[in-house]
Amino acid sequence: MDLRKKNVLVIGGGVCGIQSSLDLADMGFNVYLVEKEPSIGGHMAQLDKTFPTLDCSACILTPKMVDVARHPNINLLTYSEITNISKGDRFNVTILRKPRYVEEEKCTGCGICTEHCPIEVASEFEMKLSTRKAIYVPFPQAIPLVFTIDKEHCITCGLCEKMCEAGAINYDQKPINMSVKVESIIVATGFNSFDARKSGEYGYGRYDNVVTGLEFERLLSAGGPFGGHLARLSDGKIPKRIAFIQCVGSRDEKSGNLNCSRVCCMYSTKQAVLAKEHVPGVDIQIFYSDIRAFGKGFEEFYRRSENEFGVKFIRGFVSEILEDPDTKNLLLRVEDTETEELIDREFDIVVLSTGLWPRNDIELMEKTLNISRSNDGFFAPAELQLSSVIATTSGIYIAGAAEGPKDIPDSISQASAAAMKASISSVRTHIGGITDD
Amino acid sequence: MIKPRVGVYVCHCGTNIAGVVNVEDVTKYVEKLPNVVTAKHYVYMCSQPGQVLIKNDIKELNLNRIIVASCSPRMHEPTYQTALEEAGINPFFFEMANIREHVSWAHINEPERATEKAKDLIRMAIARACLLEPISKMEVNVTEKALVLGAGVAGITAAYDLAQMGFEVYLVEKESHVGGHLALLNQLSRSRDASEILTSLTQKLSTPKIKLLNNSEVVEFTGYVGNFKAKIVQKPRYVNAKCDLCGKCEDVCPINLPNRLNFGLNQRKAIHLPLPNSYPPIYVVDKENCNGCGNCLKICENGAINLNDKPLEIDVDVGMVIVTTGFEPYKPDGEFGYGKYKDVITQLTLERILSKNGPSKGELVTPSNGKSPKNIAFIMCVGSRQESCDNQTIKPINAYCSRYCCSSTLKNALLIKQNSPESNVYVIYRDIRTFERGNEELYRSCRASGITFIRFKQDVPPTVEKTSNNQLTVNVKDYLFKVNMEINVDLVVLVEGMVSRNDTDDVRFKFSITRSEDGFFQEAHAKMNPLNTFAEGIFIGGACQGPKDVEDTVLQASGAAAKAAIFLCRGKVVLDLVTATVDEERCTGCAKCVNVCPYKAIELDETKELVQVIEVKCKGCGSCSSTCPIGAVQVRHYRDKQILAMVENILPS
Repeated sequence: MDLRKKNVLVIGGGVCGIQSSLDLADMGFNVYLVEKEPSIGGHMAQLDKTFPTLDCSACILTPKMVDVARHPNINLLTYSEITNISKGDRFNVTILRKPRYVEEEKCTGCGICTEHCPIEVASEFEMKLSTRKAIYVPFPQAIPLVFTIDKEHCITCGLCEKMCEAGAINYDQKPINMSVKVESIIVATGFNSFDARKSGEYGYGRYDNVVTGLEFERLLSAGGPFGGHLARLSDGKIPKRIAFIQCVGSRDEKSGNLNCSRVCCMYSTKQAVLAKEHVPGVDIQIFYSDIRAFGKGFEEFYRRSENEFGVKFIRGFVSEILEDPDTKNLLLRVEDTETEELIDREFDIVVLSTGLWPRNDIELMEKTLNISRSNDGFFAPAELQLSSVIATTSGIYIAGAAEGPKDIPDSISQASAAAMKASISSVRTHIGGITDD
Repeated sequence: MIKPRVGVYVCHCGTNIAGVVNVEDVTKYVEKLPNVVTAKHYVYMCSQPGQVLIKNDIKELNLNRIIVASCSPRMHEPTYQTALEEAGINPFFFEMANIREHVSWAHINEPERATEKAKDLIRMAIARACLLEPISKMEVNVTEKALVLGAGVAGITAAYDLAQMGFEVYLVEKESHVGGHLALLNQLSRSRDASEILTSLTQKLSTPKIKLLNNSEVVEFTGYVGNFKAKIVQKPRYVNAKCDLCGKCEDVCPINLPNRLNFGLNQRKAIHLPLPNSYPPIYVVDKENCNGCGNCLKICENGAINLNDKPLEIDVDVGMVIVTTGFEPYKPDGEFGYGKYKDVITQLTLERILSKNGPSKGELVTPSNGKSPKNIAFIMCVGSRQESCDNQTIKPINAYCSRYCCSSTLKNALLIKQNSPESNVYVIYRDIRTFERGNEELYRSCRASGITFIRFKQDVPPTVEKTSNNQLTVNVKDYLFKVNMEINVDLVVLVEGMVSRNDTDDVRFKFSITRSEDGFFQEAHAKMNPLNTFAEGIFIGGACQGPKDVEDTVLQASGAAAKAAIFLCRGKVVLDLVTATVDEERCTGCAKCVNVCPYKAIELDETKELVQVIEVKCKGCGSCSSTCPIGAVQVRHYRDKQILAMVENILPS
């Protein structure tokens, strides 16, 4: 059987979509990998290091991104969105290729355009902690390494066009609708971080030094806004005391999410260890209700963080944060369940361990894909199926955080599982997908 | 030989290297070394711009040797080799100097000496690189069949996935029934009936693509990726498929034995059906305990029994192997009164008790007197999350969390509480880790149902004793309310963790895979490659890689099947000939190398009086080379002169 004639659509170019695409393409299928953003990489590209091994995230992700770019069986469609899916004998998929205003085939990624662009815009990749230009790549290791003009902010001054030696700039580029027919679909659209503004008691958005987990990740990162020198946002001072508040937007009725986000305990522990490496002697206290170090090597890492690095874990509920308007220091009111005391403690930075939520556009995706969601808002596995990758419409598979919060190894295992099911479904399309039983 | 033209690329690895090593200084130093045409440093050499830098230099500066000073070759050697290939030079004209693990991480507090060491390592790498030779490739066909080891939920899932792709699978299972630990369970999370799930799984085994070999073990395993050979021995079950499960044989069998699968809670006969819903649905004779009386033979109307059956030897050729051997439950012998008091049981035993096909047909009763318990305590983290503490640990430390147990405990606790609301259920825990979809709700339901949660600290663990009036008692210090509690109970359930199987080493050596610190099989990369092993063509999935629940096991199994399917679909695999080679002029045919080769890849040609290498079998381990008394056998890419050049360059000149 010539698998190259069998098409599979993978939606989402985070680590999960990348893994599914590589597995399918390696088997011989023809893969369309569609990513909304200008580059693949997803949230993992934003991470500094990964738990529990402290592998540098870029070091282990970028090779897979490069593999995607050079794989002969993968059609990489970045800056593109799925606008319609209809089911006939196969899935008819309409893909909107948003104009980059830079011709992908011509751009060499040299970056002269961005050097000359006069417009500074808050960088989404840097969690708006630093800026990018109106013509930009989200991060230096982006795949494809092709610039994009953010038309919302571009003033069409023409400098980039003038400077571009490759003649790649095209202000008149139009959106293109392309349609493809595919045998099966993998949905790997990932998650959004919880919007910490919804937990008003922690003052996020009002207090300079209250940051989210993902923001703190950028602050720690060598490629981040401070070049890896940990400093606080209000005054650039090196922090001496850092608090982490767990379960912000997870296991919390008020926020509307009762579920555990699975990764926050470990990412906070990792960030605490990294902060200790950045700033020797920094006092770190993690306020938690249960430490959920359940994956391979996680408990061992948690123990090390306490015994070897001196991270303090305090089982307590933070009821409120107050900011000292002069120093911008943060006063935490905590009920320590061990001493049953209500204590007030001052910190330089407070990190909110924000949970993983369904993507903001998930309702739209739900309609386009015609698959169901669970109570928690993530895409739901079909009932009574043992395998959680099987969606409620046959021929469609879900993987990674689109199906619910999960860490990288679990996402990757699920990505491969989805690839397996999609490949079976694709070679047996005539009977209409597969079921587990 | 063409004069070497070397390009050296020093990676910052963000701040991983550049935070310690002065990369600029290193680059300047390297630039001046002999044969070096260019030396550059860059923030992430492995990124696309980093690779483009190398490729452009190869073309523009006509480089023929590339050195990247960065991390361990384990992850990125293939990355750079591909870049070399794309630039049109042989991928083996490449050398990596590990200045991250071996330098910046190891000497984080000594930046100056670290910088000097980085220079030394790169100098050595250049010396070797200049002597490298091109290595050719060989394409071999892949046998389009797979071997799956272990027919638990993972093995069946992986086998069925591959079968659906059209590949033949040998599914080898040690036990006489399939289903592994799933077969022992009562319910999975969200009240799903375990035996129904088992049935839906075993139905899949009827596909002709799957050859199920029960009672079987792989006794010999040889070959290489795409072309493995396995010798399987299938022990007889002494009953054949004519068995109609009438059960008369069992009635007349005089031998009574404790039923292992019910943890000794009841007895079985020497001829028995392992579990009421066993698959295959055929009786089996426990020959070790059979007295050969022949009663069963006489009563069997179908003539299904033959006590003289002999073991079968089956040789199979397979291209890929998936190891799904599962786990063993931790045995808390001597802990919390287990083994001493009958009513202290493990959670797996509780599953058997609660199971409709279990010893009490699903009725919750205590093992000591068969009465239904009113007060039940669960003690969690038994054999998990252990730290060296003096008061009780007698066994090797299992530092890890067993992942499945919190949710599993709460499921059982709630089931008991709901079935008899008047009972008192205590859950004695350290952290509640109900992270799976929907299980936070389970936790809330438990709290709302009136189950008592008691949090203890590892250094003050609960104790289980019998008081003078024979009352089973749990003593525990509640860490949240600071009170010492003495709880009278009828049943104590120790929630045991998962441990690696006893035969892990046997499997590991047979299939050349490795174990991680926790004892389970080691994946090729903890984050990015959880299903591959370091042995090409051998994959792992499920609890043999680490504790996990059924749902996660199923995902890993399908994922591992995908990895195997990649090779099976392609039908071909390309091998690099980094293999041994014989200098025929000098070889004396002493054959010392033949004896040391672990892969039987070297043979003596007696007529020519010299040895020959079978290249597809050779793994390039170098045993032959180091044994040869005159250096006539050399391994390509690791020739003596290439290694000695490095040694010479580290010694002070």
